[in-house]
Amino acid sequence: MKILMVEDDATTIEYVVKGFVEQGHNIETATDGHQGLLLATSMKYDLIILDRMLPQLDGLKLLAALRATGSQTPVLILSALSHVDERVKGLRAGGDDYMTKPFAFSELLVRAEKLMQRGESQPTITDLNVGPLTIELLTRKVTLDGQEILLQPKEFQLLKYLMEHVNQVISRTLLFEAVWDYHFDPRTNVIDVHIAKLRRKFEELGHGELIETVRGAGYRLRQGH
Amino acid sequence: MLDIGYAKGIKPYQSSAWRITIIFSALVTVIIGTLLLGMYRQLINEQEYQLDLHLDAEMTRYQQMALTLDRRSFATQVKSADPKVALIVWRNSLDLVGSLSMIPKDMPMLPERREFPVFTGGPEKLHILTGGMVMTRYGPMLIATRVDQLGTLIDKFTNAAITALMLTVVLTLALGYLFSKAILRRLVQYNRLSKRIEQGQYSTRLPVSWRQDEFDMLAKQFNGVLDALEQNLAAVRGVTDNIAHDLRTPLSHLRIGLEQLPSKPKEELAESCAIITEELDHCLATFDAMLSLTRIEEGQQTLELQDVSLVSISQDLFEMAEAMAEFNGQSLTLTTGEEFQVSGDKYLLFQALFNLVDNAIKYSGEGAEIRISQNRNVISIQDNGPGIPESSREKVFERLVRLDPSRHHKGTGLGLSMVKAILSRHNAKIALSSAYPGLRVTITF
Repeated sequence: MKILMVEDDATTIEYVVKGFVEQGHNIETATDGHQGLLLATSMKYDLIILDRMLPQLDGLKLLAALRATGSQTPVLILSALSHVDERVKGLRAGGDDYMTKPFAFSELLVRAEKLMQRGESQPTITDLNVGPLTIELLTRKVTLDGQEILLQPKEFQLLKYLMEHVNQVISRTLLFEAVWDYHFDPRTNVIDVHIAKLRRKFEELGHGELIETVRGAGYRLRQGH
Repeated sequence: MLDIGYAKGIKPYQSSAWRITIIFSALVTVIIGTLLLGMYRQLINEQEYQLDLHLDAEMTRYQQMALTLDRRSFATQVKSADPKVALIVWRNSLDLVGSLSMIPKDMPMLPERREFPVFTGGPEKLHILTGGMVMTRYGPMLIATRVDQLGTLIDKFTNAAITALMLTVVLTLALGYLFSKAILRRLVQYNRLSKRIEQGQYSTRLPVSWRQDEFDMLAKQFNGVLDALEQNLAAVRGVTDNIAHDLRTPLSHLRIGLEQLPSKPKEELAESCAIITEELDHCLATFDAMLSLTRIEEGQQTLELQDVSLVSISQDLFEMAEAMAEFNGQSLTLTTGEEFQVSGDKYLLFQALFNLVDNAIKYSGEGAEIRISQNRNVISIQDNGPGIPESSREKVFERLVRLDPSRHHKGTGLGLSMVKAILSRHNAKIALSSAYPGLRVTITF
């Protein structure tokens, strides 16, 4: 996948470029608004990661200009302007997602991949398999080592999200967004509690190791070792 | 010496009060002048009338005397006539009898009369008389009376009137000058005080006197604005202080953690980094919460208003918190009653309510029963945990106040301040009471 990053901070560029290259993506960078707009309109990208406060041309203006050309390229805004109002402004200007700095690369990766997959026609998935774990999406049946386990609706949604992002570290914020439609940082252990319940159900079948806690980052569903 | 700014350069005669004084004084002068003129006219008319009456009475008297007395007696009467009452001259054959030595020519017959001058040898050489001729049985005679007293009276009156007018003008101008000086003094004082405020002495207030006049109203209003301003400044300062205070601890933890990193054995590195990241995230969360709180408190955040159903928001609360309570070995129940819609920011409201439920779960202890109940416009969250002593109930809403001194539970200390700020933006009331035992939080929309 080809990504354009418009960002003026060298440290952030280095951090993000390294991350995406490790994941096998092709990423180009622009360090000011004009250059960014030029690249975005002249080349074809699968995703644009856009800072807001840029030299020469403000990020939101760049976005407006880009959208005015009819471009539908997904845009993820990555900004230090963190307030809800700013988020709304960014999304209204044509952004597809909004992340605030500071951020964890793992979360950026998940969001970026989600946006890049949007354009592709997804084969209709009916089953998800991760190691001994299988869920049937239509019947909501979950089996572990062939044995059915009963999950609460929220537990099911959490597990589904983790299975869709297998081996990736998923932050609590992402999990929270995936399961509840309320948008706030709960600053509580609500996600941990649900994960713990899920894990306990796995432990009963001898698979407590499936969901791994990554301290300071979130959770990861492991496949194989 | 403080520079008192632009009012310092204003002289009293440049002030608007002085302009008003001038106008006022001119007006008073015109009114008094008109009044005096009217009085003067009245006085003259009255005097003329009195003169006519007097001369007429004298005329009748002498005509009667001429009819009843013989010529000699009449002459005696004329001679002995009191010149203060009237001056009489009668031509007895060739002699002139009376108090005047001549009869001026062309004197009209009474009641017509004419003024004429008379020279005497006394200190006042010239007298003005007025009078007319009267026909009696013994021939024509002149009856006249002095009018120079009248002239003196009129002069006196005119002098008095002019003096009064002058006095009025001088007095109003002098008073006006003092008055504008007094007003200016207040304004200059206001100016000096506002200069002081500009220089950062925000506790300065304008004096309000007992008079309750327009200046006091202005001062009161101004003081009100200052109160609000000072409060806002204090809030901002509070945030800054809070940030400094509450972020210092985690930041110093971070510093320690980072300093120790190089000396850690390799296998512990990942774990140590994770701990530092968590600490950092906590810092950021506190920071965000403070900014967010201030924005909501100061009304800078625009609410995304929509109709929010209290029944469904309670159900969402229950759904999210159920697992948490269960995990703590607590029971969480929900009862909903009659539906009620409020116009509000759904996410903020949910955040506030969830915070309350989260607190109940965190602090009511294992095995506690927590009840969320909703009926119409009231939502209450009740637990049977240790509760909050009455004396601390107001304090919990203050920023960074945490009743748990060990800070065993992780939190920013801003939760309840945020709850209160969000609810007050939605015009909802929150009350804490005892649930015997435990705490009941009642929110009334």
